[in-house]
Amino acid sequence: MPCERKPMRYGHSEGHTEVCFDERGRFIVTCGNDGDVRIWEGLDDDDPKFITVGEKAYSLALKNGKLVTAGSNNTVQIHTFPDGEPDGILTRFTTNATHVTFNSSGSRVAAGSSDFMVKVVEVSDSSQQKTLRGHEAPVLSVTFDPKDDFLASSSCDGSVVVWNIEEQTQVISWPLLQKTNDVTNAKSLCRLAWQPRAGKFLAVPVDTKVHLYERGSWDHVSTLSDDLLTQPINVVTWSPCGRFLAAGSVGGSLTVWDANSKLCVERQKHEKGFTVCGLAWHPSGGQIAYTDTEGCLCLLDGLSTSASDGDAPKVPTARGTDDTGSLKLGQDKFGDDDDDDNDTGSAIVPPSAAPPVPLRPVYEGPLPTHPQKAFQSGSTPAHLTHRFMMWNSVGIVRGYNDEQDNAVDVEFHDTAVHHAMHLTNSLGHTVADLSQEAVLLACPGTDELASKLQCLHFSSWDTNKEWMVDLPSGEDVRALCLGRGWAAVATSVQMLRLFSIGGVQREVFSLPGAAVCMAAHGEQLMIVYHRATGFDGEQALGVQLLQLGRRKRQIINGEPLPLTLRSHLTWLGFTAEGTPCYVDSDGVVRMLNRSLGNTWTPVCHTRETCKSKSDHYWVVGVHENPQQLRCIPCKGSRYPPTLPRPAVAILPFKLPLCQTSTEKGQMEEQFLRSVLFHHHYGFLSSSGYEVDEDGQTRSQKEQQELLMKMFALSCKLEREFRAVELAELMTHNVVPLAIRYASRSRRMALAQRLSELALEKSNQVQEEEEQDEEEPEYSGIRRPSGKSAPLAGSAGKANKAPVLKPLAPRPKPRSKVPSTLLHMTGTKAASKKTPDSTEPPADQQKQPEVPPPASPAENTENKRPKTGFQLWLEENRKNIVADHPDMEETDVIKDAMGRFRTLSADERLSWTERAKGQSGDAADLKKRKRGGEGGEDVEKETGPTGADENIAKKKKSLDPSSKLSAFAFNKN
Amino acid sequence: MDPSEVEFLAEKETVKIIPNFSLDKIYLIGGDLGPFNPGLPVDVPVWLALNLKQRQKCRIVPPEWMDVEKLEEMRELERKEDMFTPVPSPYYMELTKLLLNHASDNIPKADDIRTLVKDIWDTRIAKLRLSADSFISQQEAHAKLDNLTLMEINTIRSFLLDSLNCMYKLRSNLQPGSSKGQAMDY
Repeated sequence: MPCERKPMRYGHSEGHTEVCFDERGRFIVTCGNDGDVRIWEGLDDDDPKFITVGEKAYSLALKNGKLVTAGSNNTVQIHTFPDGEPDGILTRFTTNATHVTFNSSGSRVAAGSSDFMVKVVEVSDSSQQKTLRGHEAPVLSVTFDPKDDFLASSSCDGSVVVWNIEEQTQVISWPLLQKTNDVTNAKSLCRLAWQPRAGKFLAVPVDTKVHLYERGSWDHVSTLSDDLLTQPINVVTWSPCGRFLAAGSVGGSLTVWDANSKLCVERQKHEKGFTVCGLAWHPSGGQIAYTDTEGCLCLLDGLSTSASDGDAPKVPTARGTDDTGSLKLGQDKFGDDDDDDNDTGSAIVPPSAAPPVPLRPVYEGPLPTHPQKAFQSGSTPAHLTHRFMMWNSVGIVRGYNDEQDNAVDVEFHDTAVHHAMHLTNSLGHTVADLSQEAVLLACPGTDELASKLQCLHFSSWDTNKEWMVDLPSGEDVRALCLGRGWAAVATSVQMLRLFSIGGVQREVFSLPGAAVCMAAHGEQLMIVYHRATGFDGEQALGVQLLQLGRRKRQIINGEPLPLTLRSHLTWLGFTAEGTPCYVDSDGVVRMLNRSLGNTWTPVCHTRETCKSKSDHYWVVGVHENPQQLRCIPCKGSRYPPTLPRPAVAILPFKLPLCQTSTEKGQMEEQFLRSVLFHHHYGFLSSSGYEVDEDGQTRSQKEQQELLMKMFALSCKLEREFRAVELAELMTHNVVPLAIRYASRSRRMALAQRLSELALEKSNQVQEEEEQDEEEPEYSGIRRPSGKSAPLAGSAGKANKAPVLKPLAPRPKPRSKVPSTLLHMTGTKAASKKTPDSTEPPADQQKQPEVPPPASPAENTENKRPKTGFQLWLEENRKNIVADHPDMEETDVIKDAMGRFRTLSADERLSWTERAKGQSGDAADLKKRKRGGEGGEDVEKETGPTGADENIAKKKKSLDPSSKLSAFAFNKN
Repeated sequence: MDPSEVEFLAEKETVKIIPNFSLDKIYLIGGDLGPFNPGLPVDVPVWLALNLKQRQKCRIVPPEWMDVEKLEEMRELERKEDMFTPVPSPYYMELTKLLLNHASDNIPKADDIRTLVKDIWDTRIAKLRLSADSFISQQEAHAKLDNLTLMEINTIRSFLLDSLNCMYKLRSNLQPGSSKGQAMDY
């Protein structure tokens, strides 16, 4: 019986799988550990339909258009076939069911479960159940008697039991198997099979043999065995005619016996020697489909098991299974090996030629992954009759493809763009994109017709709103996208074609690999393609980012696209602000970080917010300002149905930083996120787009506030080094606040360092301004945008551009700082001068030591309303200085303290009273200011001019400590 | 209180709409609304939702409870319990009426919902009549009814108060001449 072993293919993830044919033999249906039921139109069906039935599918049975599956949620469910609509839950167990099967008429389903029970349920009315109790371990397998009287089951307790269904009693029980405690530990799945039609025999796989028991007498009438079968048989199944019995075993042997002659008529070996765990006979009897524990699906074709020529194979088999013939056949084998055609399977024409050892070394390394298919992001699978062809920020394109109608509906979120459109889809378009200007549709080519590209250019001002292009024959559209004023199409021959929106062919170039997905925004085009073959569930994708428009260039040159382990790309696009972004099947959203050499930062993990494991979020858009991830929650599926109309939900972003439960982690995450989502301003302005300046300044302010909070936190935690690190991130006009905070919390060393830092920063700003002045055109552009804008702009630059410049020469200015700082505190006029390298080094020697800005006590006093002493000091300062002209600032104060004490009590009291009156005024002043901004940001908010006033006032009233000198920098 | 007044109050409830236009935040006395982004759900008061719907500026997302399965459950519970069960919204009747009259195309199975809500309403009103009846027949001075909505109270208020007044008058007329026992079987 010559038969052909078709090449195997991957169907499911590794783990238990099962297979069956539909009644007409059109489809092969498999289920596996990934929880999907796949419906293959043939072994070479590249796009099998799939029905997700749960997290795992343990077993399936198919009859009368009903697909029954045993899932991991302890239920046995029905789905319609081939539509895959859920049709209810048939029964439940306390743990998962292990095997389900239909009776011959399809009216009942039997299910065995790990909770030791077997249930028989009427399909039409699931409330009519019969429970068969008696097994003492998980049930391995169940099978119906074709006459519906009995039911046989095998269990891990080692028994094979025949039940009377009506009476729910055991008819007979054979202790045949080895005892185990669980299905996963069982040596064999022991799938029983009752002979169809006559139902004369019950086949029970027992280790490497198959026992046949006669119905009624329940006698063990015969044993089917094969010398070459060395490992336990997992599953047996009868041919539809009831004459042949096929068995699949651990280790991948497939054997077919003729039940009449008890002879082996066919032997095959699994291509890779994987354990066969699912076996199904085609209704015509000519094929056997089998699946293995690695999730592969294979097919044996050309079995001549029909009754007419069933005698034919007898002759060779008679010879083959003859015990004495084995030696002779061994010689035959050598002859075959020379031909080296073993892998085609034809070498096994003399059945016993299958040697006991695998014919070739089994490859056990990493296995290649199926490359994922090209898709449109924002579309649902093409096999659905009602599906979304595109859902993006502009609108929705829906495709209907049922008996009555083959149509495309285009609907715009904003009806101001265009009214909704309904098109008949006579060409059979499968991919679509939608922009503010046009709808782009494309259909795959057929034998006669070329693949077509159709563009509905509704924003065109002439009367022709549509154009169509035929692709060269043999070229199919795989992915397409619409940018502003252009359209891009990736084709099956790895070409990218660029059209103008009016239909002019503008560019054509080859892609480095098969395109997976494309996305466009404005002038940017992003292409993701297969870089290579991935292994072990990985996809090897590459990404290209091109800038079209006037200045064409490639920004990302085919770098690998990072994906979560064992996931594939599910969405590719741009944020509304134009930053590339993508989502993988694990639900991780990644965004391009342009400031870090075009790296990808994960910004959100949508699965974390899902309630159940099978829930997903279907992303439809990403916005950076405000930070929104727009997506559709899908319960128990990866994509939404078209009806009822899904509603968009908004998810927040969250960077996966460490310890986000702590305050520190939270603030770090917020800060980093704010910075990351801030980059688009720079990009937009550099590519000549309008920038939302309000938003920009707002996010900058937010960042500075966060920095300040983090600074305060690290001060509280006694982490001064960290505090300085944080202060380095601040803009120059926020550092004084940090200084103030530090001095108020009596951290003089910190305040000292910060004031150095402040000076450095102000130098930087000054240098920049000087540079700006040298380039008047540049500053001319910046200036007119309001008062705060130039400040914000330069602050933004201080953050970004000159980061590297001051890093190297930092030690030098640091040594210089004390002198300049002091100098400025001494002479107020200095604040107007540039406090940079013009200072003579001699000054440094003169005042080598930097006095702490002020003693802590005084500093805290400064925050409070002024005391009488301070008032007195102001008035008498000149005298003191005149007396001791070369006195240091602190000494002056000490001296003054001494003098103040010598005053009489009355005098002192009067000073204090005066101070009270004045401080009231000062408080008023402050309040007025706070009314504007509130909180501590007073200084930050008042720009250079405001700061001027502020400082002037304080200068008058307060002693000019170094703290104030820090504010003086703002003048520059 | 007029039913239309209750309906007016109900219009203050918020409902989700999906606008098909773009508009910044609008600042009203009652609070800020928006911003409106095409395709993005936003909460607005019912009066605005209906207005926008009538101008075909939005799609209304039915409230969560306006779902056949949930309402069926509620109806069963309402029928089973002797007491009033909590209602999904204090204005469930008014909202159902308003939304179904103006936006039935946005609500799946609108007719079923209408029937179900009417069933719930009828059951509740029957209970209300029953309790009013027992209240009067047992001559109670006060009674406590939980989970009643404004509209339900409104339907029975005038009738109950008027009849109580009436009975009071009748009784007080009877009182001087006759014994208590006679007053009982009015």
